Amino acid sequence: MLNYHFDWSIITSGKYFDWLVSGLKTTLEISAVGIVGAFLIGLLIAVLKMSHFAPLRWAASAYLEFFRNTPLLVQIFFWYFGSYKILPAAVNDWLNNTNFEFAAAVLALTIYTSAFIAEDIRSGILSIPKEQMEAARSAGFSYLRSMQYIILPQAVRITVPPLVNQFLNLVKNSSLAMTIGVMEITYQARQVESYTFKGFEAFTAATVVYLTLSVTITAAMEFYNRRVLNPQRG
Amino acid sequence: MMKKLAAMVVMGLALVVTAKAAMAAPPADTLAEVKKKKVLVAGVKDSLPPFGYVDEKTREIVGYDIDFVKAIAKKLGAKLELKPVTSASRMPQLTEGNIDIIAATMTKNPERAKQISFSHTYFFTGQKFITRKGAVRSLRDLEGKKIGTAKGSTSEQNVKKAIPSATVLSFDDYPQAFLALQQGKVAAVTTDEAILAGILAKAPNKAQFEIPKVQISEEPYGLGMRKDDTKFVNFVNKTILEMEKSGEAKRIFDKWFGPGTPYHLQRTFRITADK
Repeated sequence: MLNYHFDWSIITSGKYFDWLVSGLKTTLEISAVGIVGAFLIGLLIAVLKMSHFAPLRWAASAYLEFFRNTPLLVQIFFWYFGSYKILPAAVNDWLNNTNFEFAAAVLALTIYTSAFIAEDIRSGILSIPKEQMEAARSAGFSYLRSMQYIILPQAVRITVPPLVNQFLNLVKNSSLAMTIGVMEITYQARQVESYTFKGFEAFTAATVVYLTLSVTITAAMEFYNRRVLNPQRG
Repeated sequence: MMKKLAAMVVMGLALVVTAKAAMAAPPADTLAEVKKKKVLVAGVKDSLPPFGYVDEKTREIVGYDIDFVKAIAKKLGAKLELKPVTSASRMPQLTEGNIDIIAATMTKNPERAKQISFSHTYFFTGQKFITRKGAVRSLRDLEGKKIGTAKGSTSEQNVKKAIPSATVLSFDDYPQAFLALQQGKVAAVTTDEAILAGILAKAPNKAQFEIPKVQISEEPYGLGMRKDDTKFVNFVNKTILEMEKSGEAKRIFDKWFGPGTPYHLQRTFRITADK
């Protein structure tokens, strides 16, 4: 610190600024696709896990345990390097000519996060006493309508806070994509550091980006929870 | 919540600043300091044969770089202490005074020379590529292709300059970049020839790959010392020039790169005083 000269100008304009912006763009893309994908797959797995057909339940459990209990970094390497041994040569050739690094990173993040989201959604639904379903059914609602009007509105409210956690984790975990050469914000910050030796400035920029993203997601979900799900309390 | 957060960030920064202030400043005259303490601390690579790596039998760090700092320590009458560093950590370690000298495959370039002082060139190589046999005849064959290398290296910066249309994929280390080449994910892996030769020597299916005669940069390696530490820099320069004269520098080269090794490199340089 004592003999360190701060120079913020290198990251606020010019080439290095452009790098950080392109990194931010990539991080946003990974996060957006990941959040939507992980939520949809998570919802599907949660429903399968509560199915009355045992093999579907087993399949969902296997999926959950496998992807929840292996490190994300290993999964990224699995999709990127490991898939090569399984896929036919023609498919590999095609993949290698596309932006496979990005696709493998998003796939790994989506699947990894979906396993956690599935459990959050399922516990949200299970937390609603089953008497409510019975009451709704005896009042003449069909199973789907009971879900739609009675169970899910309550369950989603309970699920929002843990979902926010998963979304935030996904955004931060996206930095692991740089291990396979995806040029997201952390990668670009390191790049700027190795070109300029101004690591403190570059990583401050990356930190501000992650903080802003996280706070925005948290605020958006908070707003949704208050205004849409709980309007009477808003 | 934001206020609390801001307070925490400020507290964290304050901690870092006080911790740094409490640390002793690096010595201004390393030569006198080392002679007094009788210990020379060198920052070296520990997983990059044959420059610096852990010998399987002795469990000690050995290599081309190490033999040079060994000779310097001997001349100083000091004990040599080796500290593993990475490409990213070596310069901060030096400027903060944790090590006295860097001997870690470090390319001399003007940006780095603004932060530290370099010795005369003690190893000379050039940046080349490993590719599938026959795939690359000239740089033109790599235009628009994906090229793998390692993060934080000069190789990454050089290849972007040499082939702007190429997509550079930076991996954590060279073995991973080479795996990507084997799987066809990149068309080439690029870095200094001496390092490429080491990777190729270890590869199980080396017959399928080659290092074409396409060079994109010259890479002179220098020993790194603190800026304006003139006496020490002069001493180190004098020592390595003497090693060249006595033939010791050539012996060290042949020991690690010569005909008896997997690399079979010719020594195409001599250690001379920089202009």
